[in-house]
Formats: sequence, C-alpha cells, structure tokens
Amino acid sequence: MTVEQREPAATSAAPDQIVVVERLTKTFGGLIANKDIDFTIPRRAIVSVIGPNGAGKTTLFNQISGYYQPTHGSIVFDGVNIVGLAPNDVAELGIGRTYQNIRLFADMTVLANVMVGAHARLKSQWYQIILGLGSVKQEEEATRQRARELLDLVGLPRRYERELAKNLPYGEQRRLEVARALAGDPKLLLLDEPTAGMNPGETARMTQFIGRLRDELGLTILLIEHDMKVVMGVSERITVLDYGEKIAEGSPEEIRSNPRVIEAYLGKGAANA
Amino acid sequence: MRATRLVPAMRIGLIAGLALVFIVTIGFVETVARREVLTDLLSLSTTMIGMVAVLTGVVAARPTADAGEPLPGTAALRGAVAGLVAAVVVTLFAAFSSAVDLSHMFPNLRGHAFDTVTFGLDLPVAAVVLAATGAILGALGGILRALPPLPTRMVVTAGIVVVVLSIMEQVFRVMLTELGLRDVARFFYASGALTVPGAVVVAILAALGTWLARAPQSPVRAQVQRVRARTDRRTSVILYVLVGLALLILPQLIGRFPSDVVGNAGLYLLLGLGLNIVVGYAGLLDLGYVAFFAIGAYSVALMTSPQSFLDLQWNFWLILPLVMVLAATAGIVIGAPVLRLRGDYLAIVTLGFGEIVRLLFLSDWLKPWTGAGQGVLGIPGPTLPALEVPSKDPESIYYPILFFCVLGAIVAYRLANSRVGRAWNAMREDESVAEATGINTTNYKLLAFALGAVFGCLSGALFAAKIGVVFPHSFEIIVSITALAVIILGGMGSIPGVVVGALVLVGLPELLREFDEYRLLVYGAVLVAMMLLRPEGLVPSAMRQRELHESDEPEDQYDEEAGVDTGRPAVSGGAA
Repeated sequence: MTVEQREPAATSAAPDQIVVVERLTKTFGGLIANKDIDFTIPRRAIVSVIGPNGAGKTTLFNQISGYYQPTHGSIVFDGVNIVGLAPNDVAELGIGRTYQNIRLFADMTVLANVMVGAHARLKSQWYQIILGLGSVKQEEEATRQRARELLDLVGLPRRYERELAKNLPYGEQRRLEVARALAGDPKLLLLDEPTAGMNPGETARMTQFIGRLRDELGLTILLIEHDMKVVMGVSERITVLDYGEKIAEGSPEEIRSNPRVIEAYLGKGAANA
Repeated sequence: MRATRLVPAMRIGLIAGLALVFIVTIGFVETVARREVLTDLLSLSTTMIGMVAVLTGVVAARPTADAGEPLPGTAALRGAVAGLVAAVVVTLFAAFSSAVDLSHMFPNLRGHAFDTVTFGLDLPVAAVVLAATGAILGALGGILRALPPLPTRMVVTAGIVVVVLSIMEQVFRVMLTELGLRDVARFFYASGALTVPGAVVVAILAALGTWLARAPQSPVRAQVQRVRARTDRRTSVILYVLVGLALLILPQLIGRFPSDVVGNAGLYLLLGLGLNIVVGYAGLLDLGYVAFFAIGAYSVALMTSPQSFLDLQWNFWLILPLVMVLAATAGIVIGAPVLRLRGDYLAIVTLGFGEIVRLLFLSDWLKPWTGAGQGVLGIPGPTLPALEVPSKDPESIYYPILFFCVLGAIVAYRLANSRVGRAWNAMREDESVAEATGINTTNYKLLAFALGAVFGCLSGALFAAKIGVVFPHSFEIIVSITALAVIILGGMGSIPGVVVGALVLVGLPELLREFDEYRLLVYGAVLVAMMLLRPEGLVPSAMRQRELHESDEPEDQYDEEAGVDTGRPAVSGGAA
C-alpha cells in the first residue's frame, strides 16, 4: 500500500510539507506530555502517530487542532503558524478531525451533524437568514445535497439521514464522524483511532476507506492508531512517540525493524503485523 | 392472585390519597368548588378528585417489567384497589380532621374543607360512598389503560375537551353569541358551565373527531397525515389561511376580558420565543430573562410617557427600532461576562442579573429617572398616527401583540432551520466539538443572547404600552420562571410548543382566577409531571422533520397510530 501517488497539482519544489512542527513542547503542570517534537507531514500523505498509551499522541493532536496551546514550539499549517489560533479558526484554515471516543452531536439528526460540519464553508449571516433571502435557501439546499453526497461517500445508508446520531450503531457513528469532518472541506484530516472498537471486517473497510480519501479527495491524513495492521497497511510514514518524545520516524519497514520502537512499544505487535 | 400485583397498586393508591389530602388541606379543592364543569351537576373540585381517582387507576394498571401488559380484568382490579385505598386515606384524614382541630396548622383547613370530598354527607355514609366511588373510578382508569390505544384516546380527548370548553365558558359563550348563535350558546352553556346535554354533544363530537383523525378505516385520516407530513400543500395553506382569519377576528368574537387574557398569553409567547432561542437552541440556561422584559418596558415608558423625566412623548412605533437596538446591546452586555460559564453557573449568574436589573429600577439611586417604587405612569398605547382608534383597550392592543408574535415565530423558525440554528444546536450538544467544526462559539452565544434580548424587550415594550404603567414589581423572578415553564411545557426548541405552552400556562390560569393563588403549586406539579411523563414537552420539536420537507424518501419513519416513532437503532447491515 505504499504506492507513491504523485499528483499533477503537487509542487515540484522539494517535498511539499503541509504541516511542519518544530520543537513542540506541551507541559501540564509538572507533566511533560510532548517534548521537543519535530515532525512534518508531506502533502497528500498518510502519516501515523503511534506509541503506547500516555505517549502524548492525543496531546499532539489537540495542539494541531487548536484545543491546546503549546508551551513552546511552532506548528505551521499550509504556510500559516497556527499557534495561538482558536479551534474554530484552525478548522476554518482546513483542519478537520475525529475523536478517540466518538463525539457526535448526539441529539441532532445524522444529516444535521454533517451540515454542521460544513459551517465554516457557509456564508449566510443571521440577518440574511431572518430576511429569508433566496441565496440563503440556495445555500441551504446545496449544503443538504452535499451532506447527502458525503453520507454516500462514507457509506452511510440514506435511510439513516433523519435518525438521531445517538441511535446509530457504533461503526456507523465512526463513519458519520468522518463525514462531518469532511463536510468542512479540510486539507488535513486528523483521525484519532478511527478503528477503535471495530471488528476485523469493519476495520478492513475503514482502512481501505482512509486510502480512498487520500486517493480520491486528495486529503492529507494524520492518523493515531493502535491497530498495527491498519498502521502498517495504510501509512507511508510513521512517527513513534514514547513518554512524550519522538523516538523514531520512517517508513513502515523502518519502524518495524527499529529496535527502539520494538523495545518501547511494538514488541508482540511487530511479530503479528 | 399471582401476577395481579395488588401491593404496588395499593402503594399507588396510598400516594394518590395523600396527594388528595394535601390539595384539600391547602384549600385548593375548596377554592375551585364553586366553579362548575356541568351545570348543577358537577363542580370542578369533584371533577378534579374524580380525575385523580381515574388517574390512580391508570397508573396502577400500567404494565410491569416482569408481568408485562395486564389483562383487562387484572387492570380493572388493580385500579379498583388503588382507588379504594386512596378513598380510605382521604376518609381517614377527613375523620381525623373533624375529630382534631388542625386549623392552627393548616389555616385553610377550616370546618368544611373536607365537605367537598365527602359530598357533605355524614362520615359513615361518606366513607361508604367514597370507597365505592374510588373503587369504581379506579377500575375505570384501569380499564382505560387496558383498552386499545384508539378507544382510550377517544375517551380521554372527549373528557379533556368537555372540561376545557366548560372552563372557557367566558370565551365560547361570547363567541357564539357574537356569531349570532344565541340559541346555540344557550343550549351549550348555562350559569358559567356546560349544560349536561351540551356536554354530551361536545363529548360525542370530540370522540368522533378523534376517531376520524386516527382510525385506520377513517376517510379523513390519510388527509390528516398528509398535512402533518407537509406533503399536502393545498390543505396546509387552506388551514393556515383559516387560522389566520380566525386570529384576525378573534378579539371581536370573544370580547374584552378574554382578549386581555389572550394578549397576556401573547406577551409570554413572545418571551417564550426569545427564551427558546437562548435556552432551547443555544442551550444557555438563562434564569434572568426578565431583565430584558424590564428593559423593554422601561425604555418605552421613559420615551413615550409624558410623566417621564425625558418628557419626549415619542410614538411607540417610532422608538421600536431604538428599543431593539438597546435590547441587543443589553443582551451583549449581560451575555459577555457570562460567556465562559456553563450550566448551573450560568443559571445562577443570570438569575443574579435579573434581580440586579429589577433592583436598579427599584432603587432610590435611580429614583429621579425611573420613579423607583412609584414606577412610570401614563404610558400611551401604540397609536398609529393614521388611525384615530383607541389603542390601549384589550381588543386593540391584541393586534400589535399578534403581529409581533407572528413575526417572532417566523424569525425564530428561519433561524432554527439554518446555519445559525445548527450552530447553536451543535454548541448546546458539545461546545468544544462545535468549535472544532469551525463555529465561533463566542459570537454565536452573543448572537443568541442579543436576539433573545430583542424578543424579551419587544414583549416588555408591548407590556408597557398595554397596561400603561410600569412598576419594578412587575419584573420579578416569576416572569423568568413562567417563561421558562412555558417552553418546558411546550417542548424545548419547538415553536408550536411555545404557543401551546403560553396558552396553557398563562391563558388558562387567568381564565381560572381561582387558580391564581396556587399558580406556583400548579406550575411545580405540571413541571414534575412533564419531566416524568413527557420530558420532550407537549409539542416536541420535530428534530427529524426538520430536514425532511424537501425529502424524496418514502415515508416509513413514523408510526402515528401508537404515538411512538421508531427511534430504536436500526440493525447495521450497510455494505461499505
């Protein structure tokens, strides 16, 4: 699965990095969650972050998506330093995300969840809405259509669209979360353990789907994942964290054979993968 | 007697009996004893007690987790036992209170308090009568519970319609007379209540109507469902037009006092619509909403009244835009400091703001301008320069109130079904995820506060113009509580719900003046009952329907008959 997809749009200049993280450190009181992390994500790549529980993976995610402000260091996304920006500004720049423990808008319909995802892309202002302008209606209809297309894309049956999000089966909730993230037309998609709690069949489909997202939509994907089959199968580059520090980085093959990684984390997993 | 579950039934009877004793003891039952439901036959107090007995039966006959739905016989038996126990409790307390003087503990329990319950009979006789009535009514309740849904619905609807029409005698009698149907009015109503033949006709009509709307073999049912599903445009439009016309001529039909009541309900409707934006859509529990009501009222008072220190005497309509701008500013000023607060903290702080505003208007400090306790008097009505009509009498002020209610409902509806409404909902569901989808939660909270404030201020402005005077005591916490109760009763986030809530919670109690003293008790009981039985409100917002009016999907979502939608999770079978 490590086929290099060179797209015509990609710039010819040296590897085009969509995310450049430098010396990123985050401390909570005395706890160092991330320490001097340097890493980059090439445009249209699928990059995984792995590491044992508590290694600081989600902390890294939360800094990229603007939830946490780094203690120091910088995060440059698509040429913009996003340190100091609020999550909604980061989202508007084109970073979408999903969550480790699914966080849908539980009491809203499936379709409404996806439509909320498109929020930052919509232009209708409250006074235009109050006046009931035609442009508002058009935009609303277009958003609804687009949301339906996204539901198709992630493979959620149409009959679910009016169901409340909380009533969906687990696997479908994960798909819905991805659809919501995609609705914002992100350039970078952060997936936090997208296959957690899925059975092998669902996991295989999700893995395939992540590949399609990059190939068909041209997204860059940053993945946190525990399932080594998924990680090794789908990612081009892997960053390994342990105790908040980056201990290795490279292709799946390199990571598989890296003694520090095996020692810190993979151990049994490497044999299975 | 294996699965008849008589002990739980007895427990329910005990609870019902104690509840009855409670409302008798506080004098509630006696207060409504003079009000009749059926002329010369049935007083409201007797009806209430009877309804408690029937309800006891219904509750006692509810299905249990282990035994499931009871058979009709079992249901009747359980209901009878529960009703009997309730009657015994009441009899015992009646006997006790006649033997021991409790009036120093319960000031309302003077001499005859229990006469309404014991039908004025001597205790031994009353005990037998009460026990028999309790058992029969309880059994009826049990049977009602065990019947299929349609007959139950027909009976319940008939009962409710009779009681409501009887209570609203003042409205309907005038209406019929105004329509030139004096004889019809005389047939249905006599001395403040429905006549017996009138009630029978009403009950039959109500049951028939229910049957027509619900029965599978009914010719009308399909039509009703199409209107509900909004697929039948034409009928809906006709209905809207009819309702609109009815609303336009309403004050001429119902006369002065009911118009006044409807006007007050309209003010709360407007408050409810605004608070619904803040609480229902955006999920910001604002307990100080009365602040905006007060600010609206005082702005109008100060700018229009000749007795205000400003002495501007501007026209109501001219200053409305200014009032709205002031309102939005007030909303942002009050909203900004509480942006970071959530849930309980927000509720407490807004509660404080509400009180602060009232106390400011009451304070000596602002006395030169706001008149403190004396308020501002002589506020003119909302006159239109072109129209030389009285504008302050209930029949006239009704129209501006109606206008703003309709306008407010349209605005609220559009917002709810838009990008903004979705952003508010998302914020209510999960604020940090909402932020990560690109919603600027700060701005949207402020927008909710500002728009909510505009609604509240408009309501206050109309209130000032309606009654012509403003005093600080009109702006106590009870206004916030009532507005909140209105939207909870109707259903959070539901616009039809606000309408129903305002009419039921503000309109009905004013028609039933006797209730006034017990208003808070009734609110409390209604809210507890709502939370237990129907937490989504009387007319819940159609979350699902929101997205569907442009839908091309087949209609398979709802099971109207059972009143239950198929909200259970569907089994996953999606091929990827």
